[in-house]
Amino acid sequence: MADARTLAVQSVLYGNSAEDIERAARALANSVRWARADGLISDWTLQLGDCSPAAVFTDETLAPLREVVEAQGGTLGYTVFGANLGSAAGHNALAPLSSTQLMLILNPDAQVAPDTITALARVVTGDVGLAESRQVPLEHPKYFEPGTGATSWASTACAMTVREGFDTVGGFDSATFFLYCDDVDYSWQLRLHGYRVVFEPAAAVFHDKRLTITGDWPAGAAEIYYSAEAAILLAHKYSRPDIVKSLVARYTKDGSEAVLKAVAEYRRRKAAGELPTPVDPDHKVAEFVKDNYAVHRF
Amino acid sequence: MTKKIITDDHPSSFVGLIDVVAGRKNVDPELARRLESVRELLVAPKTHDGPFLTVLVRTQGRRLEPLKDALLCLAGQTVQDFEVILLEHNAEREAAREVRTIVERLEPEFGSRVRILEVKGGTRSKPLNAGVHEARGRYIAIYDDDDLVFANWVEQFLATAGTDGDRLARAVVANQKVVPEVWPQGQAGFRTGSWPNAEYPKSFDLLQHMLVNYSPFMSWAFPRALFFTYGMRFDENLTVAEDWDVILRGSLLLGVDDVPALTAIYRRWEGGESSYTSHDTESWRASEQAVIDRINEHVIMMPPESFNAMRRMVLYNTALDSYRFFFDGTSLRRPFNWAWDAVRPGFRVAVRVRNRIRRMRAG
Repeated sequence: MADARTLAVQSVLYGNSAEDIERAARALANSVRWARADGLISDWTLQLGDCSPAAVFTDETLAPLREVVEAQGGTLGYTVFGANLGSAAGHNALAPLSSTQLMLILNPDAQVAPDTITALARVVTGDVGLAESRQVPLEHPKYFEPGTGATSWASTACAMTVREGFDTVGGFDSATFFLYCDDVDYSWQLRLHGYRVVFEPAAAVFHDKRLTITGDWPAGAAEIYYSAEAAILLAHKYSRPDIVKSLVARYTKDGSEAVLKAVAEYRRRKAAGELPTPVDPDHKVAEFVKDNYAVHRF
Repeated sequence: MTKKIITDDHPSSFVGLIDVVAGRKNVDPELARRLESVRELLVAPKTHDGPFLTVLVRTQGRRLEPLKDALLCLAGQTVQDFEVILLEHNAEREAAREVRTIVERLEPEFGSRVRILEVKGGTRSKPLNAGVHEARGRYIAIYDDDDLVFANWVEQFLATAGTDGDRLARAVVANQKVVPEVWPQGQAGFRTGSWPNAEYPKSFDLLQHMLVNYSPFMSWAFPRALFFTYGMRFDENLTVAEDWDVILRGSLLLGVDDVPALTAIYRRWEGGESSYTSHDTESWRASEQAVIDRINEHVIMMPPESFNAMRRMVLYNTALDSYRFFFDGTSLRRPFNWAWDAVRPGFRVAVRVRNRIRRMRAG
């Protein structure tokens, strides 16, 4: 068995309820408990970064959370950012607050299963730089290779990464991505640096996503805007001007407010010289399949 | 002349029938008085110190990873006012040990509300009846160990069932394909193969359900009264279709409130064992026939609007009589299936036009 490693769990809060965070923390502490019992994790910390307009926790409401973490040998950090940094910048800001070998990027209200930390810690070894949990009840449709779990990119709703890899690629590209595709980019950056990205189905996480009564995904205006903006920027960053051109044309034709705003933001960045320098010119890692960044199973 | 004296906003079908009889102007006063006392007994607020919901989870310990998912979904509910009874039915020793380990590893607060009930022998109904006997919830929901529920499953039942109703609550469930697969770390896992498909009707239609069950088990929250006031139990003689049986008998007796949300996913296994593969066609046919026969042998109550729906059916049935040879016996029909599929839409329109002309002539 591998030596126990240190772990930092990072969550970026935005307007969550203290009760939800505490419930998620109890599930996390329980999962860490079993990973420690299995000899996979030693010291650990939970680092919460609060981007909310008003801080989610007071000293009083933070106390029970601290108890939950400390009862399983962990420490708790709570940083109020005082501004909405977005998930990418939020995680970058939290990363230097610990120096653990492993990092778990976790949605603040996502509940891990009892053996999730164990399953992830077992798989994040060797050249695996990032391992994604399987989201329940709505599983992400990305293809993953049977036997190895190898996949194009990992969603960071709940994903474990090695700090060495995080530092090597400079963390998340927060200058380019605010809410969406920061994880796609992080995955591809790791792969460009020789790491593997895997999907670990045995590591389950409950993520409160719901469908409409007709089984459709209820996308809001903010999601449409940020994902459209991220789609153009990702295509630009990964040397696919053809896709940038196609997306801009499609969004312009679509004409809805959210996607037009995304096109406008792309053009503004382009005019201001704020676009990232394109990488992966030979398309070694980046996959653009229809509107997805991997082959999808469904 | 009838007088409607419904005082409950959501009366069960049975209470509704009492209201109809007791509310008649010329009813025997003694009968009305006795019916009213029965009604009071049925609708009186009941003191109840248990949780809102008891969740019965059936498992044989053969699908451990899906079972973990099922429990994780329950831990993730926005409303936690429920208890879980894990019905361990005919589990082999090693499987039973694994199930216990899974429960022991649950987060302690949630785990304190999960208990294992070991049941040996009998059909799929036996553990359900054992679970009902132990249930403390005001409502009882049943959830197999390989299915998934969204975070609002309990919340939506609570919102629909309210605090004083004794009707069944029925939510919408989607289907999702899964295929067994060994996972990278060696677990007997699976691969999800489709987006959840919300193919079942969005609202409950009793007449449709008489033909086939369009509502998987976890669509339902059954009121405690169904079992403890009206004495219903799952039929332990049925090898399958035990859900359809209680859904039909329960909805006929108490009525149904629709939950306006998709709250669960029924996993449809391809290449693995399920109730469809572990019971042969004859077993299914016999169980379904037993369900039909029992209901057919008894007086039933139908919900409002059923009379018109049945009139329409009889109307169509009469219209189709001339063409019945087409439908009697599939062997005769099979060579014509493609042709029937092609002409069916036009045929429907033609029948409607003909009926309208007949009505106009009759008028």
